[in-house]
Amino acid sequence: MFALALKNILFYKGRSITSFVLIFFSALLFIVYVSMMDGSHNSMLRNALNVYTGAIEIYKKGYRDIGGNQYLITNVSTIEQKLQNIKGIKNFTSRYETYGLLSFKDFSSAAMVAGIDPKREEHMSELKTALIKGKYLDQNSQNCLYAGSELVKKLHINIGDKVAFIGEASDYSFAADMLKLCGIFRTGSFEFDSMASFVSRPYFDNLMYSQNKASYISIDVNNLKEVDRIKNEIAAKMPPDLETLSWKTLMEPMVQAMEVDSVFGYISLGLFFIVIFFVVMIFGFINISSRVNEFGILRCIGLSKTDMFLLLFYEILILSTLSILFATPIGAYIAYYFSLHPITIAGISETYKQYGIVSDQIPFDFNLFTISWNVAVIYILSFLSILYPILYINKFTPTEAIRHV
Amino acid sequence: MFKVIVKLAWSNAFLRFSRTFLLVILIALSMALMLSLQGIYDGMTLNMVDKTIRSDCGEVSIYQKGYRLNQVLSNNIKNADAILRKLDHDPNVKLAIKRFSVEGLSSTARKQSFANIIGIDLKQEERFGKFSLFLTKGKLSFENYGAIIGKGLADKLKVHIGSKVIFSTQNAKGEINALYLKVAGIIQTTNINIDNFAIYVPIKRVYDFLGVPHDEATQIAIRTDNEAFIKTLKKEYSNLDVESLLDLYPMLKQMEDIMAIFNSITFAIVMLVVFIGILGVMYVSILDRIREFGILRAIGMPYAYIRLQIFLEALFVGLIGYICGAILGYLSLKYLHIYGLDLSAYSAGLEKFGYSSIIYANIQASYFSSTFYAIISASLLSVLLPLRKIKNLNPIKVIKANT
Repeated sequence: MFALALKNILFYKGRSITSFVLIFFSALLFIVYVSMMDGSHNSMLRNALNVYTGAIEIYKKGYRDIGGNQYLITNVSTIEQKLQNIKGIKNFTSRYETYGLLSFKDFSSAAMVAGIDPKREEHMSELKTALIKGKYLDQNSQNCLYAGSELVKKLHINIGDKVAFIGEASDYSFAADMLKLCGIFRTGSFEFDSMASFVSRPYFDNLMYSQNKASYISIDVNNLKEVDRIKNEIAAKMPPDLETLSWKTLMEPMVQAMEVDSVFGYISLGLFFIVIFFVVMIFGFINISSRVNEFGILRCIGLSKTDMFLLLFYEILILSTLSILFATPIGAYIAYYFSLHPITIAGISETYKQYGIVSDQIPFDFNLFTISWNVAVIYILSFLSILYPILYINKFTPTEAIRHV
Repeated sequence: MFKVIVKLAWSNAFLRFSRTFLLVILIALSMALMLSLQGIYDGMTLNMVDKTIRSDCGEVSIYQKGYRLNQVLSNNIKNADAILRKLDHDPNVKLAIKRFSVEGLSSTARKQSFANIIGIDLKQEERFGKFSLFLTKGKLSFENYGAIIGKGLADKLKVHIGSKVIFSTQNAKGEINALYLKVAGIIQTTNINIDNFAIYVPIKRVYDFLGVPHDEATQIAIRTDNEAFIKTLKKEYSNLDVESLLDLYPMLKQMEDIMAIFNSITFAIVMLVVFIGILGVMYVSILDRIREFGILRAIGMPYAYIRLQIFLEALFVGLIGYICGAILGYLSLKYLHIYGLDLSAYSAGLEKFGYSSIIYANIQASYFSSTFYAIISASLLSVLLPLRKIKNLNPIKVIKANT
């Protein structure tokens, strides 16, 4: 049957070439498109996590939903000790965040002022590498303010200027001081750069009365794929009044946005596939309908319906395998190349920044597992495309098939 | 003779019914899917544009020069009322309104967030952009210190209808001042700048709170149907910053362009594949009847008649496919236009990018006309290759070869 299928492929060149080209094109499009989609999503995620949000964060229950100083974590050192023994955690740090008003001469702006451990933060986020002017914080920075470039613009301040800060301390008292601008950073995320500012934790703890307290503890992991396992392990060791959340919950809007993007991506691909495989089916059908006599003769000389099925199955198997053998290495190479050399969409970066996307580069994702399931889908679609032709040919009895005009 | 050719073409188009049927399904299905997708994508963008116009800038907005880069109190339009009076008399202007906004800190007992307080006249806003359609909770009222707040900001502050909010900022004298507000309504515009940061209060209250004269404004937003009107405004108010919607929201233009490119690529790929499908069917259909054409040529039928018959066959198949596709596509678009595509499960993600969670498809006559031209062209082009074969055939050889 296999040899006969091969002969048929070589004999009906028009149908074979068309089917080959269409399946090849589908496989290539699928591999490249999914690689681009996954790559851009991974990049968005990595960038977002690098800026500030941790892969895992620990909160006191109620802090995110209700808020307020009674929902601050109050035993930070004990929790940090427990975290040191958990496998897979790369780094962690506690942060104390508050919103306040920053004023300079006639200019004022609301801002998030966060007390951070400058040393630990270096390994947690891109805050230090995002420095564009002045200097980053250290443990002895005192009232030094490290502010986002857009916030600095709004306040019309420069390095060395003193800004008035008014906020609420952890004991609900009024907290105010003069902060000196020591460093300016730019992460590329417009929203973050226009609202975030940082001071060194020892100084801020004194000002806010927040020693051993934190808004949350941020955790970085060695491997993002292990985040659920690590999260569960942390949750098991934490007191019941704390909640441990992974980036999937912390960045739910972004996760959903990526899911929607994927849904629309697959809908578009679905349209292409429906059209392409309809054409493959039509070509298969045309080919078979013009070979009805031949099938009749084959049945007459003793071949069964199963043999007919096998014949058509082998034909599509050979054609799709050939197409996939050509398409997969090319698609994989494109995915691999652009994973190393991301595509840059010139001129769109400013738009992206408004949505917190800090890079205009789209790296592709090179993942052999993804490529394998892409190929499997193409195979399945190819096999589905011969179902109607098989049903059609099986309608005929051998005698009817021989007499068919 | 023409009637006979038309009859022949019609009969031959359905000679192999299964093939023609499959081809018609291919054309109809691909067209319906493509139209639905195009309508949904366009609907997404147009919905954003519409809500941005209605909730914020109108078709044109006027600001003090430099305000958009440096949003400080001193940087506002000083004679806004005089400009509004003049615009009211301009036949190009459907409506012009003023707003006064300032950034600051919004706080509750437990949460704080960056916010933008916007002084408005509710009645004017209703006329300007059907403001009430944005309301998701509560009511549009400024009574008893009432304020209307964006959904994103309400979520951040964890406030509900009746919650108290304090807004603090620097006033015109440079002093930190605070304003007491009670949430009366929560709106969702899908304009992220408004949903995440806006607190609407009566414009008079903002003037008094900030200590600025009542005839000033940070923005004058204009509704107009005349796209060229912006040029006149730019000339007339050269001392001010006159901006169109796309100047203010360049990303909308970028999105429109991206969607247009994407739709064109989809259209081209689908039509190419449909063309290959029609070509295959027509080619085989003609080859099957090559002896028949040989006889026709042998008995003296001019090639032009045969060509006409084949063109008509392709045209019939293409037309039937197009009509089925147009009906199917229209029904699908109509459904999506009325009921929309409900993506509420992803609402947070869509709102992050300024999209509604229910996407309503857009319907345009151009969708159908461009597809019509493409399908008819594909049908007619698909027979060129088989026609060449017929033109070059030797009738005697063909008749002999098939006997």
